Amino acid sequence: MTVEAPVFEEAPPQVEPARGPMDWARKNLFNNWYNSLLTVALAALVVWVLVALVRGLLSAEYEIIRANLRLFMIGEFPADQLWRPWAATYCFAVIFGVVGGSIAAGARDRASEAGLPYVRTTLRQIVIRFWPILALIAVILSFTSTVTPTLLTIGALVVGLGSYYLGRVLPRAVRRWTWLIAVVLIAASYISLAGFGGVGWQGWGGLQLNLFLTFAGLLVAFPFGLLLAMGRRSSLPVIRTISVGYIELVRGVPLITVLIAGAFAIGFIIPRDVRPGFVTRMLIAIIAFEAAYIAEVVRGGLQAVPRGQVEAAQAVGLAPWKTMRLIVLPQALRATIPAMVGQFISLFKDTTLVAVLGITELLEATFVVNSQTAYLGKGLFVVTLSFAALIFWVGCYTMSRESRRLERKLGVGER
Amino acid sequence: MKASKLFAALTALMLVLAACTQAADTTTTTSGETTETTEAAAEETTTSAAGEETTTTAGEEAPAGGGLLAEVQARGTLNCGVNNTVPGFGFVDEAGEHVGFDIDFCRAIAAGVLGDAEAVTYVDLTAEQRFTALQSGEVDVLVRNTTYTSSRDGGLAATFLTTTFYDGQGMMVAADSGFTTIDDMTDTTICVLSGTTTELNLTARMADIPYTPLTFDENPQIQAAFIEGQCDGWTSDKSQLAGVRSAWPEDQGGPEALVILEETFSKEPLGPAVLDGDSQWAQVVDWIVLATMQAEEFGIDSTNVDTFADTEDTNIRNFLGLPVETEEGTAPFDPGLGLATDFAAQVITQVGNYAEIYDRNVGPGSPLALERLLNSLWTDGGLHYPPPYR
Amino acid sequence: MTAVEETRHRPRLWRDVRVLRAVIQVLAGAAVLIILYVLWFNLTNNLRAAGLPTGFDFLTQPLGVDIPGSDISPSAPIWRGLLNAVKNTLALVVVGIPLLTLIGVLVGVARLSTNWLVAKAAGLYVEIIRNIPPLLIIFFVFNAVVLRFPVLQESLNISDLVIVNNRYLAMVGFTAQPNFGPFLAIIAVALLIAAGVWWWRTRRSEQTGEHHHRFLWALGVFSAISLIGFFALGGPIGLSRPILDGRALEGGYTGLAAYWAVLAALVLYTASHVAEIVRGSILAVPRGQSEAANAIALTSFQRLRYVVMPQAMRIAIPPIISQYLNFTKNTSLAIAIGYAEMTRITFQLIGNGQPAPQMIFLLMGGYLIFSLIISLIVNVVNRRMQLVTR
Repeated sequence: MTVEAPVFEEAPPQVEPARGPMDWARKNLFNNWYNSLLTVALAALVVWVLVALVRGLLSAEYEIIRANLRLFMIGEFPADQLWRPWAATYCFAVIFGVVGGSIAAGARDRASEAGLPYVRTTLRQIVIRFWPILALIAVILSFTSTVTPTLLTIGALVVGLGSYYLGRVLPRAVRRWTWLIAVVLIAASYISLAGFGGVGWQGWGGLQLNLFLTFAGLLVAFPFGLLLAMGRRSSLPVIRTISVGYIELVRGVPLITVLIAGAFAIGFIIPRDVRPGFVTRMLIAIIAFEAAYIAEVVRGGLQAVPRGQVEAAQAVGLAPWKTMRLIVLPQALRATIPAMVGQFISLFKDTTLVAVLGITELLEATFVVNSQTAYLGKGLFVVTLSFAALIFWVGCYTMSRESRRLERKLGVGER
Repeated sequence: MKASKLFAALTALMLVLAACTQAADTTTTTSGETTETTEAAAEETTTSAAGEETTTTAGEEAPAGGGLLAEVQARGTLNCGVNNTVPGFGFVDEAGEHVGFDIDFCRAIAAGVLGDAEAVTYVDLTAEQRFTALQSGEVDVLVRNTTYTSSRDGGLAATFLTTTFYDGQGMMVAADSGFTTIDDMTDTTICVLSGTTTELNLTARMADIPYTPLTFDENPQIQAAFIEGQCDGWTSDKSQLAGVRSAWPEDQGGPEALVILEETFSKEPLGPAVLDGDSQWAQVVDWIVLATMQAEEFGIDSTNVDTFADTEDTNIRNFLGLPVETEEGTAPFDPGLGLATDFAAQVITQVGNYAEIYDRNVGPGSPLALERLLNSLWTDGGLHYPPPYR
Repeated sequence: MTAVEETRHRPRLWRDVRVLRAVIQVLAGAAVLIILYVLWFNLTNNLRAAGLPTGFDFLTQPLGVDIPGSDISPSAPIWRGLLNAVKNTLALVVVGIPLLTLIGVLVGVARLSTNWLVAKAAGLYVEIIRNIPPLLIIFFVFNAVVLRFPVLQESLNISDLVIVNNRYLAMVGFTAQPNFGPFLAIIAVALLIAAGVWWWRTRRSEQTGEHHHRFLWALGVFSAISLIGFFALGGPIGLSRPILDGRALEGGYTGLAAYWAVLAALVLYTASHVAEIVRGSILAVPRGQSEAANAIALTSFQRLRYVVMPQAMRIAIPPIISQYLNFTKNTSLAIAIGYAEMTRITFQLIGNGQPAPQMIFLLMGGYLIFSLIISLIVNVVNRRMQLVTR
């Protein structure tokens, strides 16, 4: 490996417009001898990897994925109750649509009040922003054997889009209650999965379980994290010690040890007649773990609120609790949004760890299918693993891009 | 502000849902609807199987005492700890259903206790987790190719019941490796599943032979390592090895490419286990397992169980819970296990006898093609000797 | 009542901030203590009920299993197995941290290269690796890369210096010859003298303004003394080449395949995060700095080495050290492919029936110590860097 450092530039290189591809290549690829060398070496490497990848993709047997697609997506969910996950999917399509639409409408209204021009997000922009997700959906649908899932997915996308426009045209008075719509729909999606003879989260699996553990883990951990963060900044030494102790203890150990503790030790420290299932144990462990990390994220947000804000609130005679609720938290939480998305991404990746404890989420499903007699000894583990990796990559990549966009939009970094 | 409201509301919602499901976890996982259909199904099959004179059906059986049996019957489903990566014994098929030899015993227990073979909640367990799951009450019964050993019986608070599969540990090598005995295998790398008796047996067997163990948590990983030649030998229960060998794909050389060495270096009686301290539950599980063997001895299977309704054989009438003459009149024989009198009939009708379970999952007709050997009736030279139903 | 008297000049008791503060703290402290006590009470009770030991005496029991890549016999006590596991974790950390720093910094700089292909390739690497769960990367490296290395019989042997196959990578190592002890002493003395030379060159540079070249000076002095010592003592260190005789491997340093797979996967994963930090830090250095460097006609390498990097590194080091902490914690993922580090051994021992709460306590304690050490380093570095800036 060459130790020679390549030339760098702080901003995107400002080269004069190239005259033709030859000129561009000369300026950007072969501008001196070691850059030329690097270019050639790297080009060879890239071509080699690409060729290996394409050959792997063409020669792989996809039957294992096609036959087990449902196991990858929703685990061992009963086959005769497939309408339930679909109903939940539609609920979430509506949630994302309406919430996104009403946020956009809010931005539009604020812009017009301030007399600023408001740039609408066009459908084309949305497609460009979310192309990895759309491509992933296409790949997954290409593995289905009937046309129904494709139609249902298109339906969900249409419903989502429709809800987006609905969210935009909602009158202001209704828009204030969007959060209630979201909560009701989330409850509806859970009931559609688990209620009236459905399957509770104990029986979930596949990607559905990864998503559930991520959403539920963060959501439940958030209030605890908030309390811990405030406790850490408290002036009461006992409270501060407890908070700091908890946060630092948890942050000092890997998640897998907390999960192992959840699987093996929780049974010993709770009364014997309370018997949470394994998924519930994992959820408890994840919540206990994430609370400490969220506490640190929130603490960062709290620290970003200028001291003058608190002093001003005190000056107008607000009680400490009101100062917190009305002045500090709104500003602090706004500042934490990008970091929270980051936490979401890292938890989404970490939910694969429950596979070590034998819970059939997406990664474990890639093992399980390789034990089916039809695929025994065929060495298809790399194929199934790649499929799981693709799903995780698309999810995390899209979210991290959105988080960066959000960061820029909120101007958080500028304060 | 909206965002924080949304967050607060969602959190509250999550907590409520969590609390609800938590409660559901501890009391009953299925809601009313499923239980109803379960009972209905139970009733239906009971009447068709045992005739019109049946007095009690499994679904209506009043729970006796406060033990696990009562708890399971109140809950309406059986929590069964299983494996999901052993072909033929416990794995998940392409429809997402658990299937296999061990799984069928879960179904048999559910059929006997609840009258419905489908009323099972499968809990996938790793080798390391299984006893913790049993100890903490996560599962009612463990049917996860678990070897009956004294320290597990004593130290791990497990009670082992009638062995469902007599197995022994063996070693599988590539046919072209030239190994004929385990003693040849000096300086080899051997793949083994961690947290199993297999691992301990290997350690003991190789005490004087230098080797490197390669331990994994999951069978598919061992498979991958074995295919790529990372390990010279794969040690496991012979039944599992035979299963892998017979399904070995042609492009890897087919079954002939692998050899299972003759030596069996351990006894591996595999059977269901329950938690210590609840003898009623242990008896129930035990007698349901024995019923599958007894049915084979009587020649009763799921296809012909109806034809025995008029049998004169008192033993069979006792077994199937058909009314028999007693001093007080005509009544089905009740062994006092706390089960419905027709529990054996339920098991046979819904799941089948031992031979059916065996043949369906691992027998010569299945991809695993295992001979019965020790796992046949005493009359055929095997070890199955079910105690009489009297 | 005295309280009534006092309300005239003092707020009521339940509105007195000082009282409230004390009460809240006492309540919170008591609540935590009570919760801890209840948990402890449950723990000891449940352990006893399950027939498991409540202390740490089990650590002297025999291990019962072979540990890959070590000579520890199965009859050795458990604590020795645990110590070996700590050593294995350290082997990942000590080798991994320098490697990931090197790759991370190179890639981070490469992302800002004017060479279009270099920048894009670096960007591609970062965006792909960063967004895949590390556990998947470990499986991928192990199954798709390491397992596909040549099998033992076709080992790649680079002139007896390095032997590569899909079981291990062995490389030439050193062995102690006679006089090794005295040689160590000489090395220590040489280090001291080199430090003295460093200090002398620094002072001289400060006094006279000439370039100090302290690194070259110190290195020269150190090498000269060590070399003289080496030959004077008749070669106290010998080479140990790895020799593959049939299946047995002797000599050299050997790392099992699982070790390299975990190392490579985690280094690649963490380096992608470090690269992002480095890139961000370089972008955070004011543009005027490099313009000034250009103005005094520094070459691009000099500009990077003397102007930009020193400033960027000051911003980058705290987050990079927190990535070191993440790397250390992520070594626990080696459990997935059977590398015998701390988490793996703990998991395995729990599976073999050792008491889970105690084992997990030891495991978490081990990681906490690692974390504490790294936090200490962070604090020292932060303090040092603050001194440099002011």
